[in-house]
Amino acid sequence: MSTNHHHEPNIFQLEPVEVTRDVIARTRSRGSRYWGIVGVLAVLLVIGLIGLGMRLGSETTKLGYYAATFSFLFTTTQTAPLVSVAFRMTKNHWRRPIARASELFAVVGLFNLLIFIPLMIALPSTEGRWTIWIQAASWSPHVFDTMMLASLVVCGLGLLWSGAIPDFASLRDKGGSKIYSKLAMGWQGTVRQWKMQRVLLSFLGAFYFIGIIWTHYVISSDFSMSLVPGWVDSIYPTFHALSGLQAALATMLLTAYVLRRFGGYKEYIPMETFWAMSKIFLATSMLWFYFWWSAFITYWYGRQIGEQHVLQLINFGPYIYAFVIAFLFCFVFAVFMLIWNPIRKNPGALASIALMVLIGCFFDRVRLFVSSWSVSDLRDQHHLHYVPDTVLPEAPDIMIIVGLISGAILVYMLASRLIPVMSIWEMRELRLYQRSRMLVRKKVMVLGKPE
Amino acid sequence: MTMRSEWTHKWSMAVDIDKCTGCQACVVACQSENNVPLNTEGLFNQSRAMSWIRIDRYWEGEFPNVKARFLPVMCQHCGSAPCEPVCPVYATYHNDQGMNVQIYNRCIGTRYCANNCPYEVRMFNYWQPVWPESLRNQLNPDVSIRTRGVMEKCSFCVQRIRRAERTAIQEGRDLVDGEFSTACVQACPTGTLVFGDVNDPDSKVAALAHDRRQYRLLEGIGTEPNVIYLKKVDPDYENVGANEH
Amino acid sequence: MQDRKALTDKQINDTLTNSILRTPLHWYILTGFFAVIVLMGFVAVGILANRGLGMTGMNRPVYWGFFITNFVFWIGISHAGVMLSAILRLAQAEWRRPATRAAEVLTVFALGTAAMMPIVHLGRMWRFYWVFPYDWARGIWPDIRSPLVWDPHALSTYLIGSSLFIFVALIPDFAVLRDKTTGMAHQIYGALSMGFRGSVRQWRLQAIAGIILSALLLPVFVSVHSIVSWDFGMAMAIPAWHTTIFAPYFVIGAVHSGVAGVITVLILLRWLFRWDDFIRREHIDALGRLLFVVANAWLFFFALEFMFGLYHQEGTEVVVRDLWLFQTPWNVIFLLFIFTGYIIPVPMWLFRSVRRSFPLMLFTTILVNIGMWLERFLLIIPSMGRKHSFTFVWGDFAPSPIELMIVTATFALVFMLMLLFAKAFPLIPIFDIKEGNVLRDEIQIGRRTVQAVIREE
Repeated sequence: MSTNHHHEPNIFQLEPVEVTRDVIARTRSRGSRYWGIVGVLAVLLVIGLIGLGMRLGSETTKLGYYAATFSFLFTTTQTAPLVSVAFRMTKNHWRRPIARASELFAVVGLFNLLIFIPLMIALPSTEGRWTIWIQAASWSPHVFDTMMLASLVVCGLGLLWSGAIPDFASLRDKGGSKIYSKLAMGWQGTVRQWKMQRVLLSFLGAFYFIGIIWTHYVISSDFSMSLVPGWVDSIYPTFHALSGLQAALATMLLTAYVLRRFGGYKEYIPMETFWAMSKIFLATSMLWFYFWWSAFITYWYGRQIGEQHVLQLINFGPYIYAFVIAFLFCFVFAVFMLIWNPIRKNPGALASIALMVLIGCFFDRVRLFVSSWSVSDLRDQHHLHYVPDTVLPEAPDIMIIVGLISGAILVYMLASRLIPVMSIWEMRELRLYQRSRMLVRKKVMVLGKPE
Repeated sequence: MTMRSEWTHKWSMAVDIDKCTGCQACVVACQSENNVPLNTEGLFNQSRAMSWIRIDRYWEGEFPNVKARFLPVMCQHCGSAPCEPVCPVYATYHNDQGMNVQIYNRCIGTRYCANNCPYEVRMFNYWQPVWPESLRNQLNPDVSIRTRGVMEKCSFCVQRIRRAERTAIQEGRDLVDGEFSTACVQACPTGTLVFGDVNDPDSKVAALAHDRRQYRLLEGIGTEPNVIYLKKVDPDYENVGANEH
Repeated sequence: MQDRKALTDKQINDTLTNSILRTPLHWYILTGFFAVIVLMGFVAVGILANRGLGMTGMNRPVYWGFFITNFVFWIGISHAGVMLSAILRLAQAEWRRPATRAAEVLTVFALGTAAMMPIVHLGRMWRFYWVFPYDWARGIWPDIRSPLVWDPHALSTYLIGSSLFIFVALIPDFAVLRDKTTGMAHQIYGALSMGFRGSVRQWRLQAIAGIILSALLLPVFVSVHSIVSWDFGMAMAIPAWHTTIFAPYFVIGAVHSGVAGVITVLILLRWLFRWDDFIRREHIDALGRLLFVVANAWLFFFALEFMFGLYHQEGTEVVVRDLWLFQTPWNVIFLLFIFTGYIIPVPMWLFRSVRRSFPLMLFTTILVNIGMWLERFLLIIPSMGRKHSFTFVWGDFAPSPIELMIVTATFALVFMLMLLFAKAFPLIPIFDIKEGNVLRDEIQIGRRTVQAVIREE
């Protein structure tokens, strides 16, 4: 029984034909504002790549900011498709308006893979260090991590493509360029094809889900934990994945807001989508603290010297400012703002909190990756004997941070030119499931539950 | 200059592994001094044998070059004792003389302290202790008899420390190093065990604390143990100090 | 597909109160049987109190045995309640409706039973109350640094919160019972229903109270088992316990075993009280799907815990894993645990036909709980037996008859309490079912009729 919502149910009003026409029109036409932003981002990306070039060949202790930026992009953009995947599994209708927008982040995965390669080459070998690749060859992280990331990217692209085939077909039929015929691969919308698409989406979705969790595990372990002697933290991979989920929700909240406000999709993305995402967003913010605390209390209580040094390194020592910002933004402010219903009902407020969480997530990655790369030259040690000083960002690092983040946004924007950012077939399907009727004296929405 | 009697004593023990023969005289002496329950064969079979000081025996090498290494282990009275914060009722705490003390009548027997002791030196009374009629007169009146359900462990013979302190106060003088010792130190035939105030610069223990053979058990886990171990010197090995027992 | 019969309000009232007003004979037989075992359990506790913990199999260094394993197990079972009623209510899942009350009641009774276990395992159990914050003796308060002080407080909070939650949800059902009984029963139900008439304002208040309690209970639900896990996690001297993942690992294990426990209870209740119209295939199908996801999440956490145990490549953590895999009898127990806890039941749940079959779901969920009990055992006991590098004092454990008796008695206790509850209060929430009926609808899509639900917001 709902007692705290007093607005009319959000019933999607557009006719199916209108949906197709509208979305195709928006995909094809772009204003000068769009191209202006793309231009700026392109310039910033070039600056970033120059910065990257300057950093390559430096000693590994200076590569922390590059690693942190990669981890941040991986955490936000590659976990984003999970929002669509997970809520398609639970058969929630509110995911429909943002489903394509979230799957589109799989294209950014290609960008992530490209910027990963230099990082992978720079990763020190596992000789003399503890690693999750127990007793395996010292090039294990390099090969296996690249394979996992590449498989994840391929799976994500497959997921995007299978989810978009019906829309490619629409674009092909409405006089689009030849590329859509190739992408649509003869889709006619027969019953058999729909069934196959559904199967493909569930399998690829399940693989993506499992894949993203395991990729978080290997990336976080190989690229930060195993670089620090004496840091054995079984919860760390899950912390990384959970903070990824929080960041993914933040990314989607922000994207949904931008699409609603600036993309003209206001009728498509109702309050219900924001409301549902905000509840899980609140839960993940609380869980952020829970996972961080589990690690902290276990280490701190035991008073073992090596572990106290690790706590200093990643929390309270040289990176304390990054930690405080991450803690405040990802947990304290996020939770104490999101518990209020009026804030959760306001898309603008949610977008601001999402932006704050993303900034917090970035600083969280800084405190984890810059710190661990700053000791990456320690070999044959099994305990951290001293805590090194803060590694502050220099000009190439700032260039990398700004450039790579711009690059990710740029790739997304360019991809949205080719692939519609709103899922036409899923919104049309929503129309089939939604009805409105009177219950006693109130107008309510009836939602069909697919089996 | 502060009077020695006003210093805070820090009671410590030194154990010279080089001299230990594994004779277990210390174990017997401790048992009789502290009214430690008798270890019957049944108790050993239940893995519940209690001794506040134990001699670990590790075998090294293959026949015919087998060696037995003896390691006397008693409560280390850790500076950062892991057993202390986990007791829900403050039955164990750190006093101002550097000792970890156990309050028997406060203990409710959760046994978390024993789980959290990395040296495994805490003993739990699973059964009500029983002394045969003939041994009742042997019990030390200075030490309370523990009931079943409470933890106990080496107390550095705190009753002897207090008696020596009282005597010194009555006689208006400072404690002299070596005027009293714990039961195990008293019984040890080879002088393996040495007891004293490590804050007293003239004591034997203080000198041994800076010996070049000195080490602590499980260094690095952060417990700051108060017992000083001196490494065995084995002429059969290449490097002196390479084997640490 | 959802197979529903259209039931009138009167039919719902009658069927769901039949356990109270027309108790079947087998209820008496079962309750009597469990009561006997519970009494034997109390006698065993009496013997333990009289003769001491020497009667158990605990020794040095294995200071904690079956009682603590059982404690963690029952705390685990108690997590089903909040999972099903609070989380699924907030997620607006319709299929939770018949399960919520049984899950919540199982929670309260499992918690109560669990709370008895640490008391029974104390050396001086008559002094257990010294852990509560009061100057009981000579000016000493409990040590708040100890996880054993966090534990009873977390448990009490969860117990009180869950009890309040059940009570608030029971109020409309008390009113139904008040209106169907006479005499003494009528007086009692009348007092308990606190004048509930079903007015708009009262329904609104009851719903808000339920939502607020759900939201407040969720953090408690996560923190209780985390605090229980920190009984082990804070022990730095036991390397196999000193791992950061314990908190979420225990919680997910608790949800796994708890939801399986609820499914077992629901299927048994359905058989016992002939509630076939209320506990339907679609419910255990949905619960089975939830359990599949939770079981896989649990496996992931278990794999992480296992993997990071081997991370050091040295020391006693590797020894414990070696024990689990290669040394009898531990490897037999390990195999039993992994097969019953995961390998047999979980792949079975991939199949719709299994998820919709009552006997198979009963079988798989009982297996899961056997496996999870063994998992707690494997996590707790060998770790103590292989502590730090002083191999001279490594040890093993074997349970004693008294421990087996008391552990069996706890199972009998929970079943008996559930049966007693069913005799006095409805175990399927009447008002919840009726609300579900009101919110049900059907829509036509093309030629197909699809079940639908009414959303008020």
